[in-house]
Amino acid sequence: MTVLAWGIFGVDMNVWLDAFLRLQIIVIVMTVTVMALIYLERKFVGRIQMRLGPMRTGPYGTLQSVADALKLLTKEDLRPATADFWLFELAAYVTFVPVFMTLLVLPIMEGWFVRDLQLGLFYIVAVSGVTVIGYLMAGWASDNKYALLGAVRSAAQLISYEIPLILGALAVSMVAGSLNLNDIVYAQKYVPFALLQPLPFLILLTAVLAELSRRPFDIPIGESEVVGGPWVEYSGIRWSIIFALTEYAGMWGFSILGALIFLGGWQWPFGTASFWGDFDFVYQLILVFGKSFLLILTIMWISATFPRLRIDQLMAFCWKILLPFGFLQVMINAIVLTYVDSELPRDILLFLTSGALLVAMSYVIYLATKQPSREERIAAIVAARSTP
Amino acid sequence: MIGVLRSLGATMSTMLRKPVTIQYPTQHRQVPERDRAFPILLWDFDVVEPFCTGCHACERACPVECMTVTMRDNPKFAAGESKRRKIIDEFYIDYGRCMRCNICVEVCNFDAIAMNNTWSGHELSSLDRKDLVLDLDELLALSKTKQIDPWVPS
Repeated sequence: MTVLAWGIFGVDMNVWLDAFLRLQIIVIVMTVTVMALIYLERKFVGRIQMRLGPMRTGPYGTLQSVADALKLLTKEDLRPATADFWLFELAAYVTFVPVFMTLLVLPIMEGWFVRDLQLGLFYIVAVSGVTVIGYLMAGWASDNKYALLGAVRSAAQLISYEIPLILGALAVSMVAGSLNLNDIVYAQKYVPFALLQPLPFLILLTAVLAELSRRPFDIPIGESEVVGGPWVEYSGIRWSIIFALTEYAGMWGFSILGALIFLGGWQWPFGTASFWGDFDFVYQLILVFGKSFLLILTIMWISATFPRLRIDQLMAFCWKILLPFGFLQVMINAIVLTYVDSELPRDILLFLTSGALLVAMSYVIYLATKQPSREERIAAIVAARSTP
Repeated sequence: MIGVLRSLGATMSTMLRKPVTIQYPTQHRQVPERDRAFPILLWDFDVVEPFCTGCHACERACPVECMTVTMRDNPKFAAGESKRRKIIDEFYIDYGRCMRCNICVEVCNFDAIAMNNTWSGHELSSLDRKDLVLDLDELLALSKTKQIDPWVPS
């Protein structure tokens, strides 16, 4: 039990005041992290494209996000004359608030969260689904064809990929036997769930990419198709709320969630070992943030690598590949967890079944995307020519 | 599936390579020897006077008429120090007009004019158009201070 588990600075205080202070901490940490993430993404993607990224503002461009924020905040506040006032104004907040609400239950170290919900995972899945309403509101209120198209696309994509996301999270919560994020983390004292359940980990990673509308799943906001999707008409401060806060805070939130439920959070690999007594939270923080940044870098890496998918490919991938295999995994987990009681064979069985499903999924994808070889194509052309 | 992993590997290997960016205003790339910036005049260190005799060849050849040349008698010829009977008196080049075609360098009979092949020939922005009209001293300055290794057709 660390210092911070009790009240906020070890002081017992009013519940509301305590919650308020914790919220302030979350807001500050979120803002700083978002700025750091924007800088990190620009640098990382720059290096991938053999550029340097921002270099001029501050040493090695570290103040670039500050400059960007100042520029966005002081920009003229534009709203199309034909836009629906209330929907347009509120859409930015409807997109952002659910993302912020997911951060409230994430235990970023042992016993530190704004509120400890028994249904934490369920709550996260539930509130993060609200974001799509903000997208639709923005698309409709902008009175712009591209915005509406983007909004409908994002509605289709986000709702579709919500289901694999839920299935991936459900599979691990079954293994942990709880929906409380703390309990899920405590269950990973020796083995992180990413090892026991590689398939749900991949499914969740893919679904998170789609939920955040990042390449290769960025058809809702694809610049060359719908010029920014629902956010065409947004600029200045509202755009900074949507873009900076929603996108990057969402990425951070989902990465911390992934680090907690799949990579063992603050538990793995050290378990509950106490190194520095009351200051154990330092290494726990380092563990959680390190793991989440690893996931964030993976997301950036993937989105810097792959081109945008077509909408039918995207839907087919979700409904024909991720969804059936997610369901299969959940069912197999149920069978394994019901009939195998002792710890070790259960873990081995879970790993084997999930691994086998992963191989099967890879094979299905291979079959689905297989192209005929050059010889086969030539043979087909020759055959077509020789028949009269 | 294998293609997915291979493409991820490709981006990662690119990331580990050295960036090709040149930090331009603070760091300049090497300009080639025959880089054509703007024409400048060359200084004859043996006789201590310009190579240019003011023969108007470049002025006549210039397609955009950016040059103004006048000629005078060379006092050093009378003193026997120089073989040039005539010498340049006034020389103006309007860099705002010049189109950097290199024709003046090609037609010059005395190898007296050359293209500026240093960075100083490229960073010439100014707030006033008149600042882009260079007189004889300014045109000779680079060569006089030996800041340039000019390329002239031989």
